[in-house]
Amino acid sequence: MFTRVVLAEAVKSLKVYFFSSRTLFWTLALPLGNGLYLYFLYLPFAAKTVDLYFNAGNYKIDLVGFTIVGQLLYSFFTMMLLAGASFDQERWQGTLESVLLSPANRVAILLGGALANAVNYLWMLIALVLSWIAFIHVNVMVTDFLALFVSLVLSYLAMVALGMCLETAEIYSRRGGILTGWLQEPVMFLSGQVFPLQSMPAFLLPLSYLLPLTFGLMAVRLTLFGGASMYDVAIPLAVLASMAVIFFLLSRLLVSYAERRAKVKATLTQF
Amino acid sequence: MVGHSLRVIASTTRVNLIMTWRFFSWTGFGLRFFTPVMTLGSAWVLYNVVYAGSKLPPQFGTAIGSSGYVSFITVGNAFYVFVFAAAFVVGRVMFWERATGTIEATFMTPMSRLAYMSGIMVAAATNALVDFTAVFLLGIAFGFQVALFNAPLFFTSLVLTAVGLFGIGLITNAVTLTFRDRTTTANSLMILFMVFCGLVCPVEFMPSWAQMISKVLPLTYGVSLMRSSLIGTGTVDVTYNILALVVLGAFYVAVGALTLRLIERNLRKKALFSVF
Repeated sequence: MFTRVVLAEAVKSLKVYFFSSRTLFWTLALPLGNGLYLYFLYLPFAAKTVDLYFNAGNYKIDLVGFTIVGQLLYSFFTMMLLAGASFDQERWQGTLESVLLSPANRVAILLGGALANAVNYLWMLIALVLSWIAFIHVNVMVTDFLALFVSLVLSYLAMVALGMCLETAEIYSRRGGILTGWLQEPVMFLSGQVFPLQSMPAFLLPLSYLLPLTFGLMAVRLTLFGGASMYDVAIPLAVLASMAVIFFLLSRLLVSYAERRAKVKATLTQF
Repeated sequence: MVGHSLRVIASTTRVNLIMTWRFFSWTGFGLRFFTPVMTLGSAWVLYNVVYAGSKLPPQFGTAIGSSGYVSFITVGNAFYVFVFAAAFVVGRVMFWERATGTIEATFMTPMSRLAYMSGIMVAAATNALVDFTAVFLLGIAFGFQVALFNAPLFFTSLVLTAVGLFGIGLITNAVTLTFRDRTTTANSLMILFMVFCGLVCPVEFMPSWAQMISKVLPLTYGVSLMRSSLIGTGTVDVTYNILALVVLGAFYVAVGALTLRLIERNLRKKALFSVF
């Protein structure tokens, strides 16, 4: 039953959003635009690489890779947050009550949305990275493909789990969407997407370490552009795995609490 | 006719200002500053931490002016708030008229459509001035310094850029109305301006293909003039930039006015005003 709900929701979302103008914007225009913006931010400094210090090692990451691929990963993160907004979409369409009347598992619905978003985005992300390698000659250095694969998968799971937690805000408050939107810029700043984490002011670092994107960016950048192995990125991978489990369990509690409160206060469709 | 249009502009401006300030949202107000704060913060970190002590290229100093990199970025970001006014306010005005069910009534009035849209732009630009000032105040926290103040150039660049952006807002409005699109067009436009107008990087540092795109965007010239009027950047050709702004402004307003007329005719013919 759980798997069927996930698949049904994923197929529905794919049918609605696959190659829609909304998807093209979120998966192509926004990441490319923001990535170029970051790249241009670095241009006056005439740098070709960005130094990334991690675990007593200094990795020289290609500038295009650091900025544009960093932005692609950030957009992937945003897509996962949007997956959490699927209840908000249902509310806008006037179908939220019907969805919640069904015996479908709420977490399965959210996972279905996240799966569809991942499918929508991943093929374009891979195509973009491959085209840059071919045409812009981005300096990719992968020595451990398994480490890269595990980094991507764990980043995805941790981000989806966090997105599901944030869904609570969407059900609970009419300002949920705005609050989720608010998170995007600080997350971009704190995660080390714009500049390396070692340059982050020390008092902000504890906030950075609460974000799965911080560890996802670290692991993917190091394995994709720095030639890091599974052993080198063991710490961020372990943190990502822990975050995926914790946020997933938390999301189950939070979503059920928010649904209960919305039913008691009769605010499911009052928008 | 002119008197009537001026009355339409004044009343539309008044109505829109009342609507904005009567339902003022601190959340929405704060949200608008996240991008400038992030950009200023990032520029500050890059300049003072990541590349502190590095040998920067000689063109860097000439391009950013005597007030420093953060001042260069602050002016660009402050000016960017007018893009929001054009893309999200003027660019979606008819969309919201349709969504709220008032589009037919609006188009039944004998007022000039262009005057009505101008009123919306004046209100949006007035509101944007609040944001504009706020970004400069934020910039001071990061080290923004004014090296000089050339008032005629400052206000000329402000007005001419607003006219050019108004034209682009009119075209966006036609697109959103025709394709029933709420955010994609406006957001894409915001990104186009953010990336290619030299907000964070002198245009001459960009690749040639990016420079070609920047040449057709009025904000590029507006930001360049604004920087020249406040921080004395490089050797800006003031006459060329003003001429470019006038030509682009006239072109975009003409195309925008034409598309507005064509869209209205098409919607009337196909009875699509309130079909949503």
